[in-house]
Amino acid sequence: MRRFDYLRPKSLKEALQLKKNIAGAKYISGGTDLIIQIKNRELQPPALISLRSIPELATIEINGGARIGALATISDIIQHRELGHNYPVLIEAAKRLGSVQIRNVATVGGNLCNCSPSADMALPLLVLEAKVRLQAAKTSREIPLSEFFKGPGESCLSSDEILTDILLDPPRQNAKATFLKKGRVKMDLALASLALLLEIEGGRCRKARIAAGSVAPIPLRLSKVETLLEGGAISKDLISKAQQLATKIVSPITDVRATEKYRRQIIGVYMKRGLEKVLG
Amino acid sequence: MKTEISFILNGSEVKVSVDGHLRLIDVLRNRMSLTGTKEGCGKGECGACTVIVDGRAVNSCLYLAHEIEGKSVTTIEGLQMPGHKLSMIQQAFVDNGAIQCGFCTPGMIMSAKALLDSNPNPSDEEIRDALQGNLCRCTGYVQIVEAVKRVAEQLKSKQ
Repeated sequence: MRRFDYLRPKSLKEALQLKKNIAGAKYISGGTDLIIQIKNRELQPPALISLRSIPELATIEINGGARIGALATISDIIQHRELGHNYPVLIEAAKRLGSVQIRNVATVGGNLCNCSPSADMALPLLVLEAKVRLQAAKTSREIPLSEFFKGPGESCLSSDEILTDILLDPPRQNAKATFLKKGRVKMDLALASLALLLEIEGGRCRKARIAAGSVAPIPLRLSKVETLLEGGAISKDLISKAQQLATKIVSPITDVRATEKYRRQIIGVYMKRGLEKVLG
Repeated sequence: MKTEISFILNGSEVKVSVDGHLRLIDVLRNRMSLTGTKEGCGKGECGACTVIVDGRAVNSCLYLAHEIEGKSVTTIEGLQMPGHKLSMIQQAFVDNGAIQCGFCTPGMIMSAKALLDSNPNPSDEEIRDALQGNLCRCTGYVQIVEAVKRVAEQLKSKQ
């Protein structure tokens, strides 16, 4: 591997300062994606600034809603009882991310900042309408996760910012959600994936939130399908309409993992399966 | 830029001066001469490089050495019992034919150990989940899962 310096700041302030001082330096969290990119020479940073020694970044707090530190590992999330109780869909997705060895090191913030269209944690967080906090030296902003992704490997995070927290509203009583993922084997990157959340009140769908992975340049909210489902009772006919609409509005590519046609088909099938599962 | 790191390696404290770009596996194999840990794919897919860091199985090919500062690492060499005897898991792999070429075995055993340390009575599914990140191109996994089940049974009967 090409040489680089490795720095381990103990505070957010120090981390932000180091990044400013070293041109081309990159932040590293778990590193399970980043180290491979460096090995493949897709990236050649002169220095890596590790965020793993900043204690407050790794904590998970339940406060009605939840605050998940960006450096919490996927295993930390799986093992957090209250988080799992309040947001089971998050755990469903976390358990499908990579192998045990990867989950023990990879972080939720890293999964988001890597901005892969297949990011497993992005989908449940999108349907839970998570916000992310982006911290710069003097300013801090909170934005909806749905506005964070800009393209494969691209986000709205500027070079002087760190994604520090993921914020969740308190769980809604009538909400039910699920996560579906197609991989060649269980631990694989998603060929296509879908997360779905419905709020049903008196037989009517009050709210629908749907996000799809590996079928667009970013982990994508399917707003048109959401609108279609909201307002009334969800009939068999409506499910089949949602299925058709979902396959139309995604824009997958053909690559070594799967063809465009196959990915579209999976999203349609998952739309139907997901709705049937949540409606029970 | 070399920096000195200190950590617990198989129960003993060690100090070693390493460059920032070196990975844990580089330090284990090239500096500590612990060649039981293998590098297969180098991308976190095959699990041959699995070691245990603070009780959790990790891929040492994706773990930068500097992050090991202050932590405790167990490698396959750390499982050896007094008198050069094999540990229970190692013996179970031998007895159940869970080894053919042997290249995946150290990683496989470390994943199995991390599982059994936290869950001494795993179901078949939990065993398969825990070993999902470890590829074996020879045996086909049946004997490996059997070996882990035998250890769980032995642990049960010991209680």
